Amino acid sequence: MPSANIYRPIKTQVLDIFPETPNIKTLRLKPVEPIPFKTGQFIELTVPGVGEGPFTPSSRPSVADVIEVTIMKVGKVTAKIHELKPGDIVGLRGPFGQGYPLDEFKGREIVVIGGGCGFAPIRSLMYSFFDMSGQFKKIFFRGGCKTSKDFLYRNELEEWTKRSDLNVELTVDKGDSDWNHKVGVVPTILDSVDMDYAQGFAVVCGPPIMMKFTTKKLLEMGFKENNIFLSMEKNMSCGIGKCGHCRIGTYYGCKDGPVFRYDKIKNFPEIWD
Amino acid sequence: MEKSLFLNKHNLQPFLSGIAADYAVYVPVRKGKHRFFKKYTGTTDEVVIGEVRPFEPLKAFFSRAKEIVAKGFEDTIPHATDKPFAIVGVKACDLKGFKVQDFVFKDQGFKDPFYIKNREENLIIGADCTCAIDTCYCLALGVKPYPQEDFDINLSQIEEGFVVKVGSSKGEAVVKKNASLFEEASEGQLMEKENQRARVHLEVEENIKKNNVPSQELFGGIIERNYKSEIWADEAKTCVECGACNTICPTCHCFLLFDQRDEKQMARFRIWDSCMIKEFARVAGGANPRPKLWMRLRNRFEKKFDFFPKVSNVYACTGCGRCITACPAKIDIRKVLRRLVNNA
Repeated sequence: MPSANIYRPIKTQVLDIFPETPNIKTLRLKPVEPIPFKTGQFIELTVPGVGEGPFTPSSRPSVADVIEVTIMKVGKVTAKIHELKPGDIVGLRGPFGQGYPLDEFKGREIVVIGGGCGFAPIRSLMYSFFDMSGQFKKIFFRGGCKTSKDFLYRNELEEWTKRSDLNVELTVDKGDSDWNHKVGVVPTILDSVDMDYAQGFAVVCGPPIMMKFTTKKLLEMGFKENNIFLSMEKNMSCGIGKCGHCRIGTYYGCKDGPVFRYDKIKNFPEIWD
Repeated sequence: MEKSLFLNKHNLQPFLSGIAADYAVYVPVRKGKHRFFKKYTGTTDEVVIGEVRPFEPLKAFFSRAKEIVAKGFEDTIPHATDKPFAIVGVKACDLKGFKVQDFVFKDQGFKDPFYIKNREENLIIGADCTCAIDTCYCLALGVKPYPQEDFDINLSQIEEGFVVKVGSSKGEAVVKKNASLFEEASEGQLMEKENQRARVHLEVEENIKKNNVPSQELFGGIIERNYKSEIWADEAKTCVECGACNTICPTCHCFLLFDQRDEKQMARFRIWDSCMIKEFARVAGGANPRPKLWMRLRNRFEKKFDFFPKVSNVYACTGCGRCITACPAKIDIRKVLRRLVNNA
């Protein structure tokens, strides 16, 4: 049963830590109470005595007793997270917000577009697709990073390129000898997505500038505004639309998002800031 | 028609002392030109039931400025074990604050157990305003200078004492428990109350006229229409980002979850926060949707006059005028609203 006190973190053990890039790590976490989540929902991770921060799980939603989060070292809390070791105790709250509408995706063509750190929630979504393999008409994955060194889950991505139920293209802004995929910004690898744009869905998760230009490109291609899903990750704290920090127009990122259909937010000023 | 009761002024002290058996009683006390809520000490010598709202907002009794909301991983709700509060002399402008606070913490989405407990247990003894001060403009926000709802008991101060109205079953129980102190109000007393209400109403009307405060009927679209206006930067010029306007506001509800810097004794505090502070919406990666002070001032008005009317059909302003008094930069919400309304 969920706790009556939503501000209380659930005691959680760090099982494993995997370095992904020089400043990004994936943590495998085991909460004492399972935290079932829908792909796209987020959790608040507490480092005892330091603070908490919002992260979207990068793991399989069908596994509730172990949750993986992929975290970039950017601030006070994430710096402490990067110092954690297996066996350490942290706290989890959640899940919060709205996930992706997987049922609505069934039988349809979907392009999933990830940029940089945005691969983390996207990986969870892709696992959901793999678990439901055969229930979608076609799935495209398009991913981009600054350089080949910035790719999360590089080995997994290479495996994905071999899947018959998935069409994958990857790109980097700057190529190098270690790179045998495309070179160019993310919108440049969308033209090869061969589907009925007006009927299809697009899921975009990445830095705001990447989402901005990708959305522009998707609209030009003919995707409907309400079929484009964007991840608006604001300063989410309480998770329940009360503390006020993550307001976007008439919504709260934590309660109504963090995944929004583009048409819901397009008229709010400064959504990309 | 339900009969009105009368409490003789000599019975105020026994009444408050009677309540003090079950509640931690707070009364408005005058200090200099302001009134402050002070713990009732058994004497009513300095208690000011009438006049206008105290300096500090009522919300402090419902979500504390700083309170513990979680201790370690314990699945409990840490509550102070003290008696619930009885807040005496609450004015109508503060009661309107409940329209916003209730929406946020009680009526919509996740129900906040801390707020709800206080809301259920605290006793609210309202009071009519018996005068207006220059910063009062409640009527512009559709609030009358006397409580009409959201109180347990209301006191209308007249010459000989108070005309008493019961507003809830909780209030009913309190009056019953102290029944010997009350008598039936006379026609004359009721008339005296009505006359006073009309007089204070007029005072606020004159205030609004004098200060040229626009009425809420004119607020529709003022934020969207002026989103790119220079009014924001102009008004924010003197702002020192102190957050007093947020702290003092009966409708501002934003808070910060702050973890005690102690790994052995983990405790999570909820502290009032201010959207005027630069870091308010900043994310750990450094991106800040409102890096400039004028954007944050605009955001404050957007929340009050665009967000809340859209999500809850209420303007998140009560016309109490506290932010005008509290602002060291002399930013006057009445003037900002006037500029927004006039800039068609």
